[in-house]
Amino acid sequence: MLFDDRKSKFESLARAYSAELYRYAYWICRDRFTAEDLVQETFTRAWQGWSGLRDDRAAKGWLYTILRNEHARLHERKQLEIDPDQELDELMDNSGANAFDAFEMRDMLAALPETYREPLMLQVIGGFGCAEIATMIGITEGAVMTRLTRARQAVRRLIDPKPLTRAKEL
Amino acid sequence: MNCLEFRRLVLIRPRQITAEQQAHLERCARCAEFAQSVAHDEAAIEQAMLVPVPEGLAERVLLRHRIRGPNRWSTLALAASLLVAVGVAFYFHEAPRQGDEIVSAQRSGVNQRAVAAISYVLDREPQLLTENRAGDPKVMHAALSKLGLSLPANIGSVRYLGKSVLSDGATGEHIVLQTPYGHVTLILMPEDFLASRLVVSDRNLQALAAPRRDGCYLLIADSAQTLERVEAMLL
Repeated sequence: MLFDDRKSKFESLARAYSAELYRYAYWICRDRFTAEDLVQETFTRAWQGWSGLRDDRAAKGWLYTILRNEHARLHERKQLEIDPDQELDELMDNSGANAFDAFEMRDMLAALPETYREPLMLQVIGGFGCAEIATMIGITEGAVMTRLTRARQAVRRLIDPKPLTRAKEL
Repeated sequence: MNCLEFRRLVLIRPRQITAEQQAHLERCARCAEFAQSVAHDEAAIEQAMLVPVPEGLAERVLLRHRIRGPNRWSTLALAASLLVAVGVAFYFHEAPRQGDEIVSAQRSGVNQRAVAAISYVLDREPQLLTENRAGDPKVMHAALSKLGLSLPANIGSVRYLGKSVLSDGATGEHIVLQTPYGHVTLILMPEDFLASRLVVSDRNLQALAAPRRDGCYLLIADSAQTLERVEAMLL
């Protein structure tokens, strides 16, 4: 009975979070196949460490943290070769009217420093608040706020590099 | 709140506008313009980040862990369920309307519910999303079932589940979805009769109020195209 309950919860988690974990994984490793491996490995570790999950509501953050750690472990083993032009055209959903804009924006996001991009990804893809992001990446909430601000300012500068427009912002 | 503080908060959390920010927004045109511009960039960032997910990813995760071990009987049972589901869907199918006329909030008059839904999404939803109050999935499923709607797996993820109380006093089941087309709010009112269907545009959002069986549902998104796509997935 207990096992069935655990199975059912695990199945719900896999169905609810596989997609967003994949997107997060893609943005930290920039490789489709590695991203899927990371998601698979994340759920393997989650299944193995299920007893460590005290609060179901914390499951999502827990999965993101596992994935992040898995990526760091993988990164230690071998330096991932990131090709900046890697399959971006394949990744684009060309059916949308704004496909070209999305293509350009992906380039801009890829150009952001990792320290800025990561909190932004966690907020946009994962929907996490600043305090949760701070816990996940081990920095203060204030530092998360600063990085989010700078990430968005950097994107805005890339979109509109005119210094006059920038000067008006903050 | 001054302009500096307002803009700082907008750059930290563009999707959450507090009451204090809203008050500032209403009296400062330049900050309103700034917020609109950040919101536009934010939509582009989100669209870019939502890279396509390989089909069947969750199934592969579950298969790998042998969480689901389909044997001959379960496969047959699945096939039978699919047949029944297709039959039921065919029976109850109501095709989404093409090219709904979009009316402004001022013109809507007879159907204030859609306007109230937009106000609810703009004024209450950001706060609700930060509180993470979980609704009851069983209640939600019951409401979906009463209305003959479904949430297919490819519709995206549920960001919030709870009760909504609109400004006109009507209550409903409130779901915030992160769909492939962006954030969409769905409000289910299975017992609340609505006479006619209407799409209203107000404050940069579009809301669809549609009668269904004995009740109605409301969809709120940032474009009519998103409404149409998500409605097609629900029906």
